[in-house]
Amino acid sequence: MSNYNVEYTDLQYIGKYMPRKDARDIVTGKCIFLDDFSVPGQLYGRSLRSPHAHARILSINTDKAKALKGVRAVLTDSDLPENWLLGWPPSKRPLDSHLRFVGDCVAYVAADTVEIADEALDLIEVEYEVLPAVFDGIAAARPDAEQLYPGQFAGNEIPGGFPPFQRQGLYWHLQRGDTEAGFAESEYIIEEFMEYNKMPTPLAAEPPQVIIRWDGGLDFHCWATSQGSGVFRQLGSFIIPGSNLVVETFNVGGSFGNKHAMTAQFICGAALSMATKRPVKVAMTKTEQLSAYEMRLGSQMKMKIGVGKDGYLKAVKGFWTVDAGAIGNTTQGQIGVGLGEAQIIGGKCVNWDIDTALMATNRIPAGIARGYGGMELNACLSLLYCRAMEAANIDPVEFYKKNYISAGDRFVWRDGLLWKACDVNYVPAIQAAADKFGWKDAWKGWGKPSWVSPDGKRARGAGCAILGNADLGEDNNECIVRISPDIVGDSCHVVLHMDVAECGQGQRSSLCKMVAEILNVPYENVSTTSPGQGNHNPFALGLCGSRGTITYGRPVCMACEDLRDQLFKLAEPKLEVPPDTMELVNFGVRSKHMPERFVAWKHLIPEMLSLVGYGKHVETFGIPACLVFFLEAEVDLETGQTQILRVLSGSDVGKVIDPKSLESQFHGGIGAATMDSALFEETILDKQTGRNLAFNLIEYKWRPFNMFPKFDTSILETPIPSFQFKAMGVGEITGAGSAPAVMQAIYNATGVHVTEYPATPKVILKALGKI
Amino acid sequence: MDVQSIAMTVNGREYEFSVGTRFGQVPPEETLVETLRRRLELTGAKQSCSEGACGCCTVILNGDAVPSCMMLTVDADGADILTIEGLEDPATGQLDPIQQAFIDAAAFQCGYCTPGIIMALKALLNKNPAPTEKEVDEALSGNYCRCVSHYHVFDAVRDLIGAGKEGE
Repeated sequence: MSNYNVEYTDLQYIGKYMPRKDARDIVTGKCIFLDDFSVPGQLYGRSLRSPHAHARILSINTDKAKALKGVRAVLTDSDLPENWLLGWPPSKRPLDSHLRFVGDCVAYVAADTVEIADEALDLIEVEYEVLPAVFDGIAAARPDAEQLYPGQFAGNEIPGGFPPFQRQGLYWHLQRGDTEAGFAESEYIIEEFMEYNKMPTPLAAEPPQVIIRWDGGLDFHCWATSQGSGVFRQLGSFIIPGSNLVVETFNVGGSFGNKHAMTAQFICGAALSMATKRPVKVAMTKTEQLSAYEMRLGSQMKMKIGVGKDGYLKAVKGFWTVDAGAIGNTTQGQIGVGLGEAQIIGGKCVNWDIDTALMATNRIPAGIARGYGGMELNACLSLLYCRAMEAANIDPVEFYKKNYISAGDRFVWRDGLLWKACDVNYVPAIQAAADKFGWKDAWKGWGKPSWVSPDGKRARGAGCAILGNADLGEDNNECIVRISPDIVGDSCHVVLHMDVAECGQGQRSSLCKMVAEILNVPYENVSTTSPGQGNHNPFALGLCGSRGTITYGRPVCMACEDLRDQLFKLAEPKLEVPPDTMELVNFGVRSKHMPERFVAWKHLIPEMLSLVGYGKHVETFGIPACLVFFLEAEVDLETGQTQILRVLSGSDVGKVIDPKSLESQFHGGIGAATMDSALFEETILDKQTGRNLAFNLIEYKWRPFNMFPKFDTSILETPIPSFQFKAMGVGEITGAGSAPAVMQAIYNATGVHVTEYPATPKVILKALGKI
Repeated sequence: MDVQSIAMTVNGREYEFSVGTRFGQVPPEETLVETLRRRLELTGAKQSCSEGACGCCTVILNGDAVPSCMMLTVDADGADILTIEGLEDPATGQLDPIQQAFIDAAAFQCGYCTPGIIMALKALLNKNPAPTEKEVDEALSGNYCRCVSHYHVFDAVRDLIGAGKEGE
């Protein structure tokens, strides 16, 4: 902590739009993404993928592929060490004779070009024994279900809990209070089943890619399209035990939490690089990204919910089945977060009993995605809350205001521990957003349209949903800020040594603003080291879950305050005034009261050397965020087509760091398989073959430029006790409540409960009884 | 040996390629985006979907915005091509007004799709300096952006068209 208690007011940079440091490179095409980069001697790695959802390999012959000119290695199951295992707990061989989804890897090829590698894949001869497959979490739990991991996961249930998240005991079952007592107090009780099970995909524009160079032993140098090299290193060392990874990242072409560890790509590159002793680039095609890369998890739940006469949630009890697809990929962590987020919405409820099961099925493996379990949980739970609100005839805005977590409320977070909310109150933010949207006029009651066309063929309805997370303080991160005096003149440049990825949030630039603000130097004089870690930056886990504002902001501010304290101390003999009367100005230290007393930093720092400050953040979970999402939808009652007419997204962010970057985060909430997973985004499963029929950007539906609804925001700035600038991040949750809000709006427009995601025209017409 | 060659102008520079399947030659199946990215190292256009659906590889060819992943290089013989790298004034470094408007409006997030969006807009504004909102929507409807930069892109276009009108 700093020796001097400085309140940061009269800010130059924080709260004002500053073009991002990489802005010019982006608009001129000079910005480097991984696919624009190559390593000398690089080969290209490709994977032969299973055409079957569930099969065993009876025989495999790679002779013809190996004989093809330009092929440098062909690897199959037996070529990989036995302890290289994907998933948590480590369970799935990366190349396997037991194949568990369409797209599972059968063989790896490294060749001089992508085209040669693809040709070699066609020359590998495989004989399969096709096995029965299961595509649904609940079906996978039935006693007669086909077993995906015989001898490992009995009944296809992957063990709950994720040790790195739950160091004091594994956690997958939320139990608090006495639910029977809660139901006894409830005036209104509903019990229903809901599912969000079509596994849409975040689908970053840039497909996942890595370049892996084996450096001997178990050392690997990795270049990756990862939004978090800390996560990449951590999970990489799980799947190749004892490995040591140096990771470099570039500008990342979209991630949405989905491009972190890329374990399957890493292991393919690592194996091929060891076999060829050359760097190997492994780049997925768009079709592979849509057919074999990590999707949103499948969510099915049956829940009993009790609400009191007073409108407070009294008890929630039920079972949440989570479909991990073919590999449990730290999905247990998402279950922990989902359970936590349930309590953030129902912050006043003290009676909880939600048990969970993580199931293996023959679907594409689920992975991390923006919303991280909470989105998928609430796509179901939020609608069930609505059923209870409807039973009690409560306006959802009033329900959220009553029940949303506030200062002092308790919740169990993903570590399994009971936490207490810090000094937050989101009622004003919810009300401000509702007022700006015009909720009072738009909401006519449950199942009642806000407008019907004169011919009765079209109807509009409003919907709103709320969501919050509490992992804004998660992860330990550290940084170094270094003042480097210029060789000529008395100016300095300041370098932030921190692993900060750039995948669209502008966090690299926002942190530079914080440095510029505290050290009172021009923004232009501050830069950040290239992202990555292993041997060139201090530790930071990655920009996950909107945590960067606090967990990166705090260390950066601490390091700058450390520098300031050092500079004041160094200046004391020269200025002959107490340090608490000094200020930083013009790359120097000055007396506030006697401004003529000034000394340049350059004259306080030994020639050619730097002055270094250090800062760190240590994990805490006491800060819940809040995002309330309003929209109005119009349903064509004849065609079943739904259009979103307008959206308003509201929050209290503590303090705006950069208004345009923040607004972008709100806009982004309707991307990455959130809002539109209620309308048209889905992987379309062919149950005969287990294939995703939406395997390209034509079949997988997405919202183009000419379909964007009017978008508004409502942003309050009530300072929160987070770090020096009293701010927090919200990008993780900006879209996480949007899908159930759409379903609610459709119900209000049509008066008919639509329970199937996505609510395509077919689904709506079916619900209306027209087909 | 009968050597077939093709020529094209890219960002004002003329290039001639030998067509064939030997090392260094442009094979008949090579797409324009591959030639631009791999041979000319013009990596601003991105190869994302490889089927003309996402617009990340958009360049301007003889005045029209085209997905360069859907065109064979041999079919671009004689074409005049402008890529994102050719928008900035090479002598002064001054940005094209669209590029500047994108910076002013923060009209990108990850920036991967941005070159394609800018080139699609450039082709539109060359032909129609004052498009309606609907015309802008339609011109960009083939450009995929998952971060949702759309609203700030619309802001940038409004700023551009507004600035043009004021200058008249």
